[in-house]
Amino acid sequence: MTADKEKRRAISREAARRRRRVESDVFGDLSRLLPLQPSVRAHLDKPSVIRLTLSYIRMHTVLKENDGINAGSRHMITYQQAVEGGDEQSGCDGAQDEEEKDTEEFEASQETNMYLGILEGFVMVLSTEGDMIFLSDNVSKYMGLTQTELMGHNIFEYTHPCDHEEIRSNLRLTAEEVWYGEKRDFVMRIKSALTHRGRTANLKSATWKVLHCQGRAKVCVDPSAVSCLLLTCRPLPLSHTLLSRYTFTSQHSMDMRFTYCDQRVTSLLGYRPEELLGRSIYDLCHALDTSCLNKNHLNLCLKNQSVSGQYRMLVKGGGYVWVESHSAVIPSVRPSRSRPGIPQPLCILSVTYVLSGVEQPSLQLSLDQTIHRYLN
Amino acid sequence: MFYDQVHFCCISDDVLVEEEQSTSVSLPSLMTPPSAAGMSLSVELTRKRKGSVDNQYVWDCLSDGEDQHVKVKCFREPHSQIEKRRRDKMNNLIDKLSAMIPTCNPMSRKLDKLTVLRMAVQHLKSLKGSASSFSEANYKPSFLPDEELKHLVLKAADGFLFVVGCDRGKIVFVSESVTKILNYSRAELIGQSLFDYIHPKDMGKVKEQLSASELYPRERLIDAKTGLQVQADLPIGAARLCSGARRSFFCRMKYNKISIKVEEKESQGNVSKKKESQKYCTVHCTGYMRSWPTSQLGAEGEGEVDKQESSHFSCLVAVGRVHNHSSPQVNGEVRVKPTEFITRYAMDGKFTFVDQRATTILGYLPQELLGTSCYEYFHQDDLPHLADRHRKVLRSKEKIETNCYKFKTKYGSFVTLQSQWFSFVNPWTKELEYIVSTNTVISYDPSRAGRSGNKSEQSSNPKASEDCKKSPPIIPGISSTPGTMIYAGSIGTQIANELLDFNRTNSSPSSGNVSPFSLPQDKSPQIHNQISNSVPNGETSDMEIPGKSSSESEPQGAAFSGGETLMGENSQLDLESVVGPGLNSLSSDEAAMAVIWSLLETDTNLGEAVDFEEMHWSL
Repeated sequence: MTADKEKRRAISREAARRRRRVESDVFGDLSRLLPLQPSVRAHLDKPSVIRLTLSYIRMHTVLKENDGINAGSRHMITYQQAVEGGDEQSGCDGAQDEEEKDTEEFEASQETNMYLGILEGFVMVLSTEGDMIFLSDNVSKYMGLTQTELMGHNIFEYTHPCDHEEIRSNLRLTAEEVWYGEKRDFVMRIKSALTHRGRTANLKSATWKVLHCQGRAKVCVDPSAVSCLLLTCRPLPLSHTLLSRYTFTSQHSMDMRFTYCDQRVTSLLGYRPEELLGRSIYDLCHALDTSCLNKNHLNLCLKNQSVSGQYRMLVKGGGYVWVESHSAVIPSVRPSRSRPGIPQPLCILSVTYVLSGVEQPSLQLSLDQTIHRYLN
Repeated sequence: MFYDQVHFCCISDDVLVEEEQSTSVSLPSLMTPPSAAGMSLSVELTRKRKGSVDNQYVWDCLSDGEDQHVKVKCFREPHSQIEKRRRDKMNNLIDKLSAMIPTCNPMSRKLDKLTVLRMAVQHLKSLKGSASSFSEANYKPSFLPDEELKHLVLKAADGFLFVVGCDRGKIVFVSESVTKILNYSRAELIGQSLFDYIHPKDMGKVKEQLSASELYPRERLIDAKTGLQVQADLPIGAARLCSGARRSFFCRMKYNKISIKVEEKESQGNVSKKKESQKYCTVHCTGYMRSWPTSQLGAEGEGEVDKQESSHFSCLVAVGRVHNHSSPQVNGEVRVKPTEFITRYAMDGKFTFVDQRATTILGYLPQELLGTSCYEYFHQDDLPHLADRHRKVLRSKEKIETNCYKFKTKYGSFVTLQSQWFSFVNPWTKELEYIVSTNTVISYDPSRAGRSGNKSEQSSNPKASEDCKKSPPIIPGISSTPGTMIYAGSIGTQIANELLDFNRTNSSPSSGNVSPFSLPQDKSPQIHNQISNSVPNGETSDMEIPGKSSSESEPQGAAFSGGETLMGENSQLDLESVVGPGLNSLSSDEAAMAVIWSLLETDTNLGEAVDFEEMHWSL
């Protein structure tokens, strides 16, 4: 190797070093413009800085569309209050002082916290390609990963492969939705880095959590704007607090026939538990709700947990009530290396909330309801 | 053997472990036990997006009696590959960034990394300038100002937040979004009693939901995974609320009819058909009970300070969402229009469910139809083609359209209907639960229903005498020995029996644990694959109908045009369509169970195995 070549090598190495320094500086500038805690900022790697910058810009675009609507509704309220003489709302009259603004922000955060508390979940904004543009910061409580770790990544990296098809079909936006803001309601399995005891573990030892996602598609026609899904995501709880009167629990075989039902069903639906054993839930639901229960059943078969949405259960002798069921699959015995054996039967455990009173009690819709009437 | 860029997942008992590094580990051979009982299934799912990919999965699902899991680790990845992936990822991110920055976009040539980054810095600076307060000293810096997050959340939820005191139902707080939903302003509602806005008949129920837990002291926690009670009954203490105790209920809420409209969302409210002028919509309220310190509520809550209590008072914190009575589904939605009604048939054609709309159309109350065979109401001339459809639907997964046919109403006249039938099967057992029929009214007017059978329509002659007038139609498969009367009801039974006999002779013995993935057993050589679209109106390919033709000059064309688009679709979500093509290739029950087990294995919180028999339920 000649001295000339050596020299050229040294120059190019030096140039490369300079380039990297400049680049690092720019990355530093960028990260300082992001709304991050200093401790978080210090640990960000370069791809993450870009990820979060992208999220920031995208969210800004998403919200830009909202501003028109929000400002409009705020004006509406002010007008109405002026008419009615009410004056509790500080309103959007432009002359807000800092204190009022602070109060508003504070109240907004209170409201959001209340809502997220009821929801028992977090907010997710998904691009049509599945990038998690935004996640509310309580996501760490449910997934063990922080907002900054997750934002900007793609949902397909974190969800169960068998659910990808379903997620994709939910991400697809069709022409009609531009006008109707189509709703979304689906269940998917997502990685969680939380251990059983609630501590954060490494993503490499993640477990699956079943997430119920509800929300709407937001379609932006403006090409520079971002079409996305606005979702609230709730991990389906594995334990339920029961209010004695309006809920009952039941167990089913995997084909959704009752194998057990607790006594409270009698005061709610009229059936004695024994009368339900062996009966299929599909017999006991209103015909219009067959597809709802079908979807619920499929989610149970595939993802082991599900929430049914609202459907109607027929009451003994006539009428129906609106209910919502939260269910999970329980394997009774799991074979393992130490305990080999054939898999034991699975069963489904359901907690059903009764939401309405008995509607149209004299109306008999099913054959079963007429039989019971004669037998009574 | 070495594999480049392939990652294997280790499936151990509780945990999904992913290895991304390029450690090379010796590979035990992938076990493929050739026994009939086991099948090794390797489903490789690679998700490649533009640019590089972080995670690729290969699932190794094994099923054999000994329940072995193969731990696999076998590849060595050259360092250059890792570097390449990193570079690709970075380039991908830079591309995305430049797409989002307005100043980068018009550039025709691709910009270099540094320039894009510099422009990003400028762009952020400009955004921050115009945005509302962001990372102020007092507040934790967040990606979204709270105000925006709040709007986002409520937009996603399409509901309104409210907090009501438990003792008197005073509305302490309600979110702005209530205006969109109930058309009342916040100011109108705050401080009022919730009960002023609830339908009289629902007041008792809402009172019960709001009442503190002293009335219902036995709150229990049941672990959904084990079915066992995990917490003893809570002590009855008036002061002690089970915070976190969820409430979920419907109630009808008043809905302001004043004409200031915000959006068309109001049209979603379900309007009750009461005679009173007040309109209500059904609201689904979900939330929890809580003790809320008044001090935190700021301007909104000042009305509620109760001097006797401390600064705490108990309340319900909930979200109200308008409930639409037809639950929308992504697939398989059943849309029912006013001239439609839904019925369910057992396999033999007997009514097991009749939608109440049927009464206005057919004259019968549901209980008059339930338990009777649909064939008793079909016009005689339609029996052959309907019997044919009945056969088809029992052997097909698809929606089957009928032609137009006449259905006898309570008063002896006929209405013309057209129906769409499909067999609803249990997703797990794949057995038929019932046939669901969506029936559309084509024409009410019997005189327009066609020329044939005019006389019989008007009269209420019993079926027997009708049969005497014409020679009985020949329905293939239905025994019609000379001299036998065909009673309509028996048609359905015979068709059902046909299927049962066929299944009995053809199917393999099934065990208790029926596979959810076994193919439907309709290996029938019959014409079930020919959907009725190909059948010309009023005739079927192997029918002989003596005497008059059954083809009416009815508007059958109209009926068909609606039906065609639905042809060929699976009428019901099933496991294959949801999970995707990978599982379709499975052909054995054991393999199916294997997949299910592998899915279950990776679940969280499976915890200790619970013996099913030992579960006890204390009440």
